[in-house]
Amino acid sequence: MNNDILAREFEACKDQLKSYIVRITTSVQDTEDIIQDTYIKAQTKLDTFKGESSLKTWLFAIASNLAKDLLKAKKRWPENVTDICKDAAMNSETFFGEAMHIAHTSPQGSFEIKEHIAFCFTCVSKSLPLEQQLTVLLKEVYDFKVKEIAAILEQTDAMIKYYLHTGRSKMIEVFDHRCSLINKEGVCHQCSELNGVFNPKQNQQEVLAQLQLVKDANSKDKEQLFDIRMEVLKGLDPFKSGAAELQLHHLEHNRKVMEKYLEKNS
Amino acid sequence: MMTTTNAQNGKATTIKKTFSRQTKVSIDINADAAIVWTLLTNASDFSRWNSTVVSIDGEIKEGEKIKLVSTLAPERTFKIKVKEMQPEKMMHWGDGKGDRYFTIEQNKNGGVTFIMDEKMGGLMFPMYAKYIPPFDENFEQYAKDLKKEAEIIANTK
Repeated sequence: MNNDILAREFEACKDQLKSYIVRITTSVQDTEDIIQDTYIKAQTKLDTFKGESSLKTWLFAIASNLAKDLLKAKKRWPENVTDICKDAAMNSETFFGEAMHIAHTSPQGSFEIKEHIAFCFTCVSKSLPLEQQLTVLLKEVYDFKVKEIAAILEQTDAMIKYYLHTGRSKMIEVFDHRCSLINKEGVCHQCSELNGVFNPKQNQQEVLAQLQLVKDANSKDKEQLFDIRMEVLKGLDPFKSGAAELQLHHLEHNRKVMEKYLEKNS
Repeated sequence: MMTTTNAQNGKATTIKKTFSRQTKVSIDINADAAIVWTLLTNASDFSRWNSTVVSIDGEIKEGEKIKLVSTLAPERTFKIKVKEMQPEKMMHWGDGKGDRYFTIEQNKNGGVTFIMDEKMGGLMFPMYAKYIPPFDENFEQYAKDLKKEAEIIANTK
């Protein structure tokens, strides 16, 4: 193992690492810092890499540890985070003005519902205990196997299976209760509301009907619908997608709102 | 600690005496002790998988007090002390009226045998015994729920 191989492997998985870390931290700045620190740490510790896992798994382990260090003192978000942040956005003098400016000027400013589905999962999954959130993301979005996740998070296979099952179960229940895309009684319509704001000329019903989640809402069970939701995340890079700048602006807004909310309600 | 008996395939037994009542259930589970232990010690997650528990407030840690609401008497909150914990092996809860032991033993099938054993008693026991509902059905459901959840987790790919 040498620095050239590390540099190549790091470059090959850098986009995935960034996408994973921003989905955990919800902060672009923290993500940039962690990615940079991951590379520095990997370089300085390269002689300790024994090849017991792949280099990619090892890099994800370093990045996960840095993210855990950053987040360990921070409170987890509530399940209704999107309600709280929606109220804050509606009362903000700047949020919609900034978002509209991005939508009209940025090449990565086009609002799409599937991008919001991924964004929404990022926010809501922060209601899981951190280890569960990391496990669900690593398994369902980044395709790591249980043994690899156990190595990344320094846990036993049994604990990873527990985190995965529990995290999935909780998310399935939250989305089944909240998401109007899969449940007519769902209390959250935020993705279609925002689509109406950013794409007022679109026929809302037609747009919704094209979504796989909506198409399958009545024929698939909750587990399968969750898998479809995870496929949406897998297919999107939060830094490179067509709505990246718009969604990252929204994510930054939500993180700031939640930090204030959690401080006020501590 | 109470002595354990062979697995009874999820069937509870109760021994009634004048000054005490003891209910026990045991069940074989095809899962690691770590999974069973984690399910038994994660208070906030309990009501998701265990249909006999309405809620548990507090942390299941040695020396801590927890507040348990059971479907046996949902109008009551039981304040229980976690008296002893031996990770992945044994846990002992108790209050003034009784003691409950949870035991996890490796079995010859490569899984574990879970045993839940509760004994209530004392000199005043005959005075309130008639107000305490039978535990058998509740214990059997508890064991069944634990087995189901632990085996689903163990089979996660």
